[in-house]
Amino acid sequence: MKSIQFIVNGKERTVVCPPAKTLLDVLREDLGLTASKECCGKGECGSCSVLINKEVVCSCLVLAGQAQNQVITTCEGVGLSPNLDVIQESFIAEGATQCGYCTPGIIVSAKAFLDEVDTIPSAEEIKTALGGNLCRCTGYTKIIKAVQTAASKKISEPETAR
Amino acid sequence: MLVSQIDMITPSSLSECLNQLSKAGRKHKLIAGGTDAAVRMKEGKWRPEIWINIKNLKELRYIEEREDFIHIGPLTTHTDMIQSQLLQRKADVLVEAAREVGATQMQNMGTIGGNIGTASPAGDTLPALYVLGAMLELTSLTNKRTLPIEEFFTGPGRTVLKENEMITKILIKPQKPNGLGIFQKLGPRKAQSISIVNVAISLTMDNDRKCAEGKIAFGSVAPTIIRARKCESMLTLGQLNEELIQNIAKIAWKEVMPISDGRATATYRRDMASALLERGLYRLIRRWENQ
Repeated sequence: MKSIQFIVNGKERTVVCPPAKTLLDVLREDLGLTASKECCGKGECGSCSVLINKEVVCSCLVLAGQAQNQVITTCEGVGLSPNLDVIQESFIAEGATQCGYCTPGIIVSAKAFLDEVDTIPSAEEIKTALGGNLCRCTGYTKIIKAVQTAASKKISEPETAR
Repeated sequence: MLVSQIDMITPSSLSECLNQLSKAGRKHKLIAGGTDAAVRMKEGKWRPEIWINIKNLKELRYIEEREDFIHIGPLTTHTDMIQSQLLQRKADVLVEAAREVGATQMQNMGTIGGNIGTASPAGDTLPALYVLGAMLELTSLTNKRTLPIEEFFTGPGRTVLKENEMITKILIKPQKPNGLGIFQKLGPRKAQSISIVNVAISLTMDNDRKCAEGKIAFGSVAPTIIRARKCESMLTLGQLNEELIQNIAKIAWKEVMPISDGRATATYRRDMASALLERGLYRLIRRWENQ
């Protein structure tokens, strides 16, 4: 067992766990943050996507000991009702979710992507950015539309004005 | 060994890391991005007593041009390579290959040193490194050696790396102004897939559609990456016109030595190796002429 400190969703946290436990399991079991999901467990589906220092990664392949002193953001940290992020609002408005299992991972990936762009991305650019996130129920049309909607909202009403 | 019993050490410098690697009488393994290592741990294939975590060893993460080589730190991620203007200008084939690795998450996590160390015959950056004449620096606490990438791999997942050594640098030759490269991959889908066949091509062009020198390396068609030397020798025979390109592609069909496995049959791989090379050469010529 090791004591591991990191910042999760803006708060300093300490967990005591085996260092080879996955970050995903630490988030879900030790910290009760259950938005990130385990699906394939090997980096193919993106359901477990979280941000580490603003970069999107698969938390099922990061070991707890490797997360020491890192800044982690999960879907809960992107936004929680009633303070939803513009991306989450857009997913609701566009009906871009069905069973919802993949949604937190996609929101996190979209967050990392939209933080880096200041124009409305094309469908092709969104497909590349979200290529690591699988959805098995809706198809991707509404997801792509929701990301574009979020981008246009971000541009027309910058965060300071919101 | 259970996952919960595995310990972890995080060295804060390269020398500390080499010191840890030199300790005998225990089972340890390096872990960087974890995109392969963590999966193998879960599958039960890799259960070291201790993970030596080098993920944040910043001194091994850089891309620099010094003297006649581009120096790449082994902990450089695929995203770093995709965004590097130096590589975009002078090693475009490596940037294209890095872009084909997994998707955003894998590109953010996975490192070039890891892609080399894993030694998959399907590793996407490897053929690109072959055509860029890559040299690998391997370091242990007491020794340092540099060898061509061709001499590093001995089979699928097998390399000449010793227990106490690690890859500490990748050296590549920058392309000349009249040089250009391309990476072509066939996978089951666009993002996030293992290559069925991949090929890297690097050409140094002369006047009049002639090629002064060229290198071709295939992945996923042999136990390790292979250079297609017969095809390479044909590149300089004359103008790279449709006829010559098609003849080179025919020779590629014979030169690769694929097996049948869950991803594809050997014959399909031969067909695709030939087609990817032909397509790659056409695209390179078009790029060269539009420059």
